[in-house]
Amino acid sequence: MHWFSSSTTFFQVLVNGVFLGCMYGVAAIGLSLIFGCMQIIFIAQGAVMILAAYCIFWMVSFSSISPFWGFLFIIPVFLGFGWAMYSGLFQRVAKTGKNPSLLLAFGLMVLLEQLMAFFFSSNFRSVPTKYASTALRLAEVTFSVNRIIVAFVAFISTALVFLFLRKTIIGKAVRAVSEDMEAAAFLGMRPEWVSAVTFSIGIALAGIAGVATCIIFPFDPYFGFIFSLKALIAVAFGGLGSVGGALLGGVILGVLESLSAYIIGGGWADAAAYAVFLLVLIFKPEGLLGRSYGEKA
Amino acid sequence: MAGKFNRSKAGWGIGLIFFAFFVVYPFLVNAERSYLVYFLYTTFIYIALAQGWNLAGGYAGQVSLGQHAFFGVGSYVTAILWRAKTIGYLDPTGMILSGVGATVLGILVGLLLLSKLRGDYFALGTLGLGEILRVVAINGGSLTEGPVGINIGSEAYVSMTYYYFFALAIAIVALAVVFLMARSSIGLALVAIRENEVSAAAKGVNLLKYKVIAFAAGAFVTGLCGSLYAYYTFHIDTSGAFSLDWVILPVLMTILGGAGTFLGPVLGAFILSGVFEIANTLMPQLHSIFSAAFIVLVTLFLPDGLIRYISGHRERILRRLPIFRWIA
Repeated sequence: MHWFSSSTTFFQVLVNGVFLGCMYGVAAIGLSLIFGCMQIIFIAQGAVMILAAYCIFWMVSFSSISPFWGFLFIIPVFLGFGWAMYSGLFQRVAKTGKNPSLLLAFGLMVLLEQLMAFFFSSNFRSVPTKYASTALRLAEVTFSVNRIIVAFVAFISTALVFLFLRKTIIGKAVRAVSEDMEAAAFLGMRPEWVSAVTFSIGIALAGIAGVATCIIFPFDPYFGFIFSLKALIAVAFGGLGSVGGALLGGVILGVLESLSAYIIGGGWADAAAYAVFLLVLIFKPEGLLGRSYGEKA
Repeated sequence: MAGKFNRSKAGWGIGLIFFAFFVVYPFLVNAERSYLVYFLYTTFIYIALAQGWNLAGGYAGQVSLGQHAFFGVGSYVTAILWRAKTIGYLDPTGMILSGVGATVLGILVGLLLLSKLRGDYFALGTLGLGEILRVVAINGGSLTEGPVGINIGSEAYVSMTYYYFFALAIAIVALAVVFLMARSSIGLALVAIRENEVSAAAKGVNLLKYKVIAFAAGAFVTGLCGSLYAYYTFHIDTSGAFSLDWVILPVLMTILGGAGTFLGPVLGAFILSGVFEIANTLMPQLHSIFSAAFIVLVTLFLPDGLIRYISGHRERILRRLPIFRWIA
């Protein structure tokens, strides 16, 4: 423990990492769901998050509603947005193969970024909250109220998605389709409809992550890309297709970044995260909790 | 068969006519001020970058999103050696050294990643590679001069014509590499890997060897482009040298033209550079929005690329536009 000036510092760094990781986790769950049904990496996830962040920013600017209500308003809007995006764009492209889908996600990301930069300018924005400077202290370790709320939302959304997948008939269909699309179709499920549902939920989760982002960080239109990458790393840690794994992966990544920023300096934190990401990809590609997709040719 | 023979002959002829035009053109105009010279210069670089991706990404189906790593390494090798006066201005040795640097990285990374990762995982791994190198360059201390980047006085600048011809030469190197590889047993192996890895391996194709060859050859060409970029800008920093543009645009051009075809990336590079330039001139404010929307439209309507679309609809196109009969 000689790297840290005291054990309090260590726990503070750890707690900060866990809170940061919860945000990565929510974005990662969305990514993981979308991967499960479409087998593509939806790189525009971060741009969708920032779009949600802007929605909240304008909502707060024009009214006096607390940004935390944004969670309620973002979810239906982004469910619809996801549905439109799937049936308008991805459904068509998914038939032609994976590379076009990946590219489409990429184009969509750039398009969203540029539209936001054009309409909202590329200045940094931040959303003021009532509790910005309020914090709880527990044994000398500070817990910012904003971050506690964000972590709480992260756990609630993970739990809801988990219950949805396990307990509802649609959730079971989602799992069936992501396991074997053809077999699911034989059993009377409509893969396209199920994929649309999954995609919409993924986008709504990106919206939730976006609301969380704008409460904690200042952002600009291009801020999302790094979040996409972080969410990807979190997904790789947890294993593609595993909900709990994605949240856990996010938390591991957050802690890893937070610790490495403290020990070896902020500039290297990203490199450390990517290096661990590569190592995990190489040595444990099925993720820490994920089921192995094996040699499915 | 006879028709095919004539067609390929006509293809060579048209290629030579274009080449002759490209060689003569900068001498016909004031190269320093000509917009077309500048446009062709950037297009040549994009052709090389697109072909560099096309080998592993198009022919072998190993989608790399880490081309900016090779581009950045190429630029930094040139910038560092140039600053140290080991190599001179627009020094072919420096360019080749930069290409070799990128190739070495390509072989190392290729052996590590291609032996373990497939499909999306490989794409993600290479993306991570580029991002790691960016951070390394930012924290590289006096060697890379951190986020400020390496600044080299632009007194050395002589003429746009030199850049133009170096870009043309690099594009031709890239075309030659792809042409020769695609027509050799390597090309057959790469396509076999793309179509079905398991059956390719069963037929005795050494998967890792051929994937790494394609990946490293692409890295070499990309490193050459990075080197020329360093000579062109006189200032190398991490945001420019490791920009994701060096991945996105070439990949897009290749897919627009047709991934895994020889002419696809060339066609794609010309069309996309043209579209971007027109958008930039007519509506500079909306340029990036337009370009991004174009990406989305291409993937929606031309997922297999122009070349395959044209050969799929050859008869219909020829009926409408009979003038193409003797080229196509």
